[in-house]
Amino acid sequence: MKNRITTVIMVLLAVFVTLGGTTSCKSKKRLAKEAAEAEYKSRVEQATKDLNAILDDETLWTLEEKEARVKTIKDWNLQNAEVDDLLFQVEKKLARERAQKEEEERMNAQQQQQQEAANVVLEKNFNSIARAGGTAQANRLINETLGLFESANVPVLIIISQNAGFNDYDRPTTIEKYLNYLKDQKKTADKVYEIKYNDNGKINELELIKK
Amino acid sequence: MKKIIATLALVLCFAGISLAQDELSFERKQAIDSLALEKVRDLSKYIKIVGSKDTPFSEANRVIDRAEELFMSDAEIGVSSLSSNQITYYRVRKYFEHLMRLNYDRVEIEWYNIEYVSDLQRQPDGTYVGVITIFQTFRGYDAEGNLAYKDTTKKDITVYVKRKETQIGGRTIGFWDVLLGDMRVKETSNR
Repeated sequence: MKNRITTVIMVLLAVFVTLGGTTSCKSKKRLAKEAAEAEYKSRVEQATKDLNAILDDETLWTLEEKEARVKTIKDWNLQNAEVDDLLFQVEKKLARERAQKEEEERMNAQQQQQQEAANVVLEKNFNSIARAGGTAQANRLINETLGLFESANVPVLIIISQNAGFNDYDRPTTIEKYLNYLKDQKKTADKVYEIKYNDNGKINELELIKK
Repeated sequence: MKKIIATLALVLCFAGISLAQDELSFERKQAIDSLALEKVRDLSKYIKIVGSKDTPFSEANRVIDRAEELFMSDAEIGVSSLSSNQITYYRVRKYFEHLMRLNYDRVEIEWYNIEYVSDLQRQPDGTYVGVITIFQTFRGYDAEGNLAYKDTTKKDITVYVKRKETQIGGRTIGFWDVLLGDMRVKETSNR
């Protein structure tokens, strides 16, 4: 009798252990599946939110940051129709922004080049006036140089010192007076610091800095 | 008593701040020192151009206009001669007109040893005032190219530098206005 009871208990124990193990394994798989689904849902929500924000210009991200964000979302490979549609629209928008930015950079570089070229031309003319062989030659160069300016009265500012972002100037003069000054004094011209142009491409303000 | 000390401390504190604001940094002071010296050197070149018999009349007149702009409106320039102890003072334009009419065939004017004898000092009205001394050698030649007259004069020029503001292109520009005052003859020799 005692032996029979022991056998029953052993069998019951074996049944409990087997059933318990199977249930635990099934629970882990379910939890992992739920976690994956939650993560997927969260990513879809995040992607939708970010892509809509980019489309509506509601972010403070730079173009590079926006492009990086799109790349991350694409790498998630969400295979969600709404996200895919948003990605398509955002990629088109960013391509336009990229093209616009590159055009702006090209224009800025061109402007910078023009400015540098204008600086070189002006400084060359200034020094040619200062080194002119005679009054007639100097006057011809002055007239030639004045052609680059809006008028003979365009203001010329000469920085004499710069301290903590603060400029000290000499008494302002006009381009005509400055060119004649170079002719009279036969000095090396001051360095071109900044040139401002009018809509017709003529210089309407000139800032120089003492060397 | 405590109140008086506190008031005095406050007054001294404000006076200190005000003094500090008036003080120019070494670099800024150096820049205006150089600017004033440059104006005097510019003047020497203008005198040379106007004195030269090769300078066309129209050019000389234009240069006189520029030279006049370097001076205060009532400034005078002293002229001396070895033949007289008298020093004659002319208004700037008159001085240049006199220089243009000098009765020599060729004139050479050289300025040298241009330096401060009295550094720019801040006056109560904010103007910086200093004195620059120059040595001028004058040579006048006759039609045969012979040296007819030569003297060397030491002259003192008072310089006034004042901070001013003007509007250019819609922005306020702060600039240092350097103006030359009287040019006084200190000594004349035949060296």
